[in-house]
Amino acid sequence: MNCPIESRDPEMLVALCAGQLDLKTAEALKQHLAACAACRSVAAEQAVVWKALEAWEAPVVSPDFDRRLYRRIDEGARLTWFARFLRSFREMPLRQALPLTATAGLLLMAGFLVQHPIIVAPAAQRQDSVRANQVERTLDDLELLRQFSAAGSASESAHPDAM
Amino acid sequence: MHVNAQPYMQSGVNIDMGAVAATLDYDAELMLRVKEGDGVSFGVLLEKHRASVVHFVYRLVQEQAIAEELSQEVFLRVYRSRSGYEPTAKFKTWLFRIATHLALNWLRDEKHERAQERLDDVSANMPVRQVSDRRLSVEQKLVYEVKLNEIRGAIAALPEKQRAAVLMHKYEEMEYTQIAKVLGCSESAVKSLLFRAYETLRARLAHMG
Repeated sequence: MNCPIESRDPEMLVALCAGQLDLKTAEALKQHLAACAACRSVAAEQAVVWKALEAWEAPVVSPDFDRRLYRRIDEGARLTWFARFLRSFREMPLRQALPLTATAGLLLMAGFLVQHPIIVAPAAQRQDSVRANQVERTLDDLELLRQFSAAGSASESAHPDAM
Repeated sequence: MHVNAQPYMQSGVNIDMGAVAATLDYDAELMLRVKEGDGVSFGVLLEKHRASVVHFVYRLVQEQAIAEELSQEVFLRVYRSRSGYEPTAKFKTWLFRIATHLALNWLRDEKHERAQERLDDVSANMPVRQVSDRRLSVEQKLVYEVKLNEIRGAIAALPEKQRAAVLMHKYEEMEYTQIAKVLGCSESAVKSLLFRAYETLRARLAHMG
């Protein structure tokens, strides 16, 4: 058998300690360990680590875990469609929520412009009225984005991200 | 259609869920039944995987209350996504992918100083089941607790992906391919993660031998 350390396959030593090798490979590796001090040292240290990790017991799950989970499921089932819509934003990471809200804002603006087309004023008055209209629409759009961002960021800090 | 998620608790029928869920490939089939509205199957999956998910998340975040909260979120998302579930991978792989994602996100949201404070405050971090053998002397219990804190500290000091890989490899006995799917990387990347993680752990814990 090739030396796991020299052949850059030290995972075999970990697998040996974990009992994940087939019988034939394990026996071959054990024979190699008898002759290779370097591998023997790593295997011995890995065995210590393995045993130490086994000593780390996890706490018992709370007896009311299931009851609390089912209560959350039932509460979720009673949400309105709008609350579920907002929840999807809360569960979304900010890097996804912001582009989506910006896109939603642009779509809303486009819809608004379709309903209220821009009327071109005479040249003498065009510059001032365009400027005023632009300012007004920009303020409306910013307010809309602010509302969406506030809904996303406020919950982003409180809830883990979704998959 | 409203799905009663607790029919098995209300039916009065004593069901051995451990035996029902014994077959490994049965999990995806159970989830497909959940997709069709079978709440009993969800209960079977919960019974089978509850402990392993909570324990895995606990060892990642090292706070029991947070671990249970995040674990509930895992099962909540499994239930909410039932209508779109497709068995493209093993159920456990999908489950642990969600658990790892939530736990790692929680860790990233926390400050590093908070992690150090948790390790320093032993009383706040003491798990419910610390030493089960009452025959241990006080001295033995103290030695055990010191050893335990050292192990927890060594795990907590690992980079997040290495930590998750080690916990899945050691405590869940997951194969490289399965860990790779959970972490969203290649099998060779998992081998590299585990090699570096165990190398670090050997350096920190080998004196315990």
